[in-house]
Amino acid sequence: MLSKNSGVKDMAQPALQGIKVLDFGWALVGSLTGKHLADNGAKVIRVESSTRIDLSRTNRMVKISSGNNPDDKPWYTHLNTSKLGLVLNLKKPQVKSIIKKLIQWADVINENFTPGTLSKLGIDYNFVKTIKPDIIMLSSSAYGQTGPLAYEWGVDGTGLAMSGYLDQTGWPDRTPVGANAPFGDVVLPYINAMAIIAALDYKRRTGKGQYIDTSIVEVCVHSNTPNLLDYQANNHFRKRNGNRIDYASPHGAFPCKGEDRWCTIAVFNENEWQAFCHVIGNPAWTKDPKFTDMKSRKQNEDELENLISQWTSQYTDYEVMYKMQTAGVPAGVVQTMADIVDGDPQLREREFLLPIKNPELGVFGHPTPAYKLTKTKAKVRHAPSMGEHNEYICINILGLSDEEFAELVGQNVFE
Amino acid sequence: MDMFENLLSGYRALDLTDEKGFFCGKILATLGIEVIKVEPPGGDPARSIPPFLNGEPDINNSLYWLSFNTDKHSITLNLEFKRGRALFRKLVAKCDFLIESFKPGYLDSIGLGYIVLTKINPRIILTSITPFGQKGPYSGFKGSELVVSAMSGIMSTNGDSDRSPLREGPDTIYFESGAAAALGTVMAHYVREKTGEGQQVDVSMQEVAVKRTSSNLLVWEFDKCLIKRAGTIRTIGARSTHWIWECKDGYIFWSFMGGKPGSQGNRAMSKWIDDDGMENPLRVITNWEEFDMAAQDVSKDLLDAQQEAIRQFFLRHTKKEITEEGFKRGLNACAINDPSDILENPQLKARDYWANINSLKTDNPLKYPKYFFLSNQTKNFVKSAAPVVGEYNDVIYRNELKLSAKEITKLESSGVI
Repeated sequence: MLSKNSGVKDMAQPALQGIKVLDFGWALVGSLTGKHLADNGAKVIRVESSTRIDLSRTNRMVKISSGNNPDDKPWYTHLNTSKLGLVLNLKKPQVKSIIKKLIQWADVINENFTPGTLSKLGIDYNFVKTIKPDIIMLSSSAYGQTGPLAYEWGVDGTGLAMSGYLDQTGWPDRTPVGANAPFGDVVLPYINAMAIIAALDYKRRTGKGQYIDTSIVEVCVHSNTPNLLDYQANNHFRKRNGNRIDYASPHGAFPCKGEDRWCTIAVFNENEWQAFCHVIGNPAWTKDPKFTDMKSRKQNEDELENLISQWTSQYTDYEVMYKMQTAGVPAGVVQTMADIVDGDPQLREREFLLPIKNPELGVFGHPTPAYKLTKTKAKVRHAPSMGEHNEYICINILGLSDEEFAELVGQNVFE
Repeated sequence: MDMFENLLSGYRALDLTDEKGFFCGKILATLGIEVIKVEPPGGDPARSIPPFLNGEPDINNSLYWLSFNTDKHSITLNLEFKRGRALFRKLVAKCDFLIESFKPGYLDSIGLGYIVLTKINPRIILTSITPFGQKGPYSGFKGSELVVSAMSGIMSTNGDSDRSPLREGPDTIYFESGAAAALGTVMAHYVREKTGEGQQVDVSMQEVAVKRTSSNLLVWEFDKCLIKRAGTIRTIGARSTHWIWECKDGYIFWSFMGGKPGSQGNRAMSKWIDDDGMENPLRVITNWEEFDMAAQDVSKDLLDAQQEAIRQFFLRHTKKEITEEGFKRGLNACAINDPSDILENPQLKARDYWANINSLKTDNPLKYPKYFFLSNQTKNFVKSAAPVVGEYNDVIYRNELKLSAKEITKLESSGVI
């Protein structure tokens, strides 16, 4: 249970208050890395350009999004909460003076352009450290900054394919499949933000900054380590096997009342098996030696799953879940997005989506950090519109005069 | 100032997690934190998770356990016993982090809840990784990779439409929750070094997984439209296309996408189909940058014909041809790797990605992924094998807590350690 911190004063500030981040991050990995820092109180200046517009600002997955307004894309908003927005055409020479000021201001730089892009623009790590030797700079990409594939294009699916995720996901008799949800693109930002904060602590202790290089593919491969070892040590290739795993049975999604409704059940040990049998009323088949221990259940799993499906089909998915969970059997409804957004009381308790007013889109749920720091709580604000903070950043943060700012406006650098 | 080899050298964590939380401690260990797994006498039950070395079930043979507990130390300690809890309190006084994945309320029930821990060590950071989080109506529910995948909505988008929804192959949610917990832990550490005060980090695996489905949530929230499982088809906007294909000797990831993001790959595909002398319905498109799959004038028949040609094309070629030749041609296709492909991958080799780790009972070292990130200043690497049960007992109980040989024997015989 979460403890009430009686006698311990609440630390009102979010965890990363005072940290300054120059953020060239875009698409998913870069945007989410900056979001972790910004939601937790770091001042994050997101630099972007309409001349090379972010994928999430053109995405029209929902009807409200138009073809030409970069600020009416809720997905962009989800990925970029709590940041300040600066629009800059990095290819214009006049921009260099602003970039230098931003580097001097920043503790951290985050970027995930295709490797080599910042070198072409003249603002790679070698340049940055001449201005700020103790900067912490992080680059992420599909394959990493070095090696024969460094400059290759890659997306989330690249990580799924390269790491073995897809090899392991699906039915044994069918083509592999994958979820309609990113994996490496979401895991890597956790690693990125963690490395940045650990590097800040290292700098506190040693005075030194550093350059960090991360790859979607390399992070994803970690999740497949047991199969890599199994192949090396035992010369064994594990085959993808639907919902079944080698150390639990039953272990699957079972049909329930209603259209396309399912509940998962996972039985890992004898206690859970006994509880499971009790819940379904101890029918005679549960005493059949074909099912009485894990090994026999694994051998007769097709038949076992059919028998269980006959029972689950009489109930709704939530009924099955509550019956099982009440008896101590792990079980969970295969929830749809509707169940999650409109129903799930647990996620609501955690404020997993915080209703925030967006100037273009109205009030809708914005994702909060899933890791809750109980004293230094995250503070999530809406994402910036294109160039929302150009003037504030140039004048109030970088100290430009009104005239200098007006001159830059005249040179069309804010595009 | 002394230099450290890793980012967080010099700190200590006690790791009480089961398989749901292994990754957090594994990641923290690569940062140089001394991570001590506290196992019940006889070993962590998760040591029975297959596969096993040589196929032989044994407490030190679980390749699953070995995978996710690298660089940790192991002590045995029975927290169900009063004497065990007394020893644990002594360890809490000397550590910086505690990571656990017990059912919420368990630590309170044995007198080791957060408040008690802070009285022993106000600097302590308690990171809790649980299926649904520390409070709320489902907090007492049992969960696992499968159950949480279902409850997070991820599963509803995975699988073939004519069969049940599917879990993902690797334990993606355990992995991702461990990474989220490691971030929260390091963040709390950063605060603690400024304020002197620790806190609890509450990680819900369900919430971590839900955060991956952000775009699907939006499609429901705004348009009341449900994204559902669709096999090898990826649902994007108005038109959906295949992203996984069978080839001559395996499978390929290649997204058939419109607009600028897909243009280079589409052009390369069309050229290669031509070079193969096949019928080519992609050829009618001349400006791939402007090819908008959602546009009214792009017929479903055309998209279907194009995808059929692409399907035929992939079936003619091997994984090796498609990756090697494909990279030269700018196809952006990627083989769906099996373990052998991964271990032989030239990019990973060139990056020195593999750590050779000598595990117990193997004649040759096994290759493990070596790092989560690279740094020019510090080496945050996987360096040593997961521990055998209780290998650190001597260091902790004899050297550090100064227990006598007689006391240790007594603790062993009474089942405390």
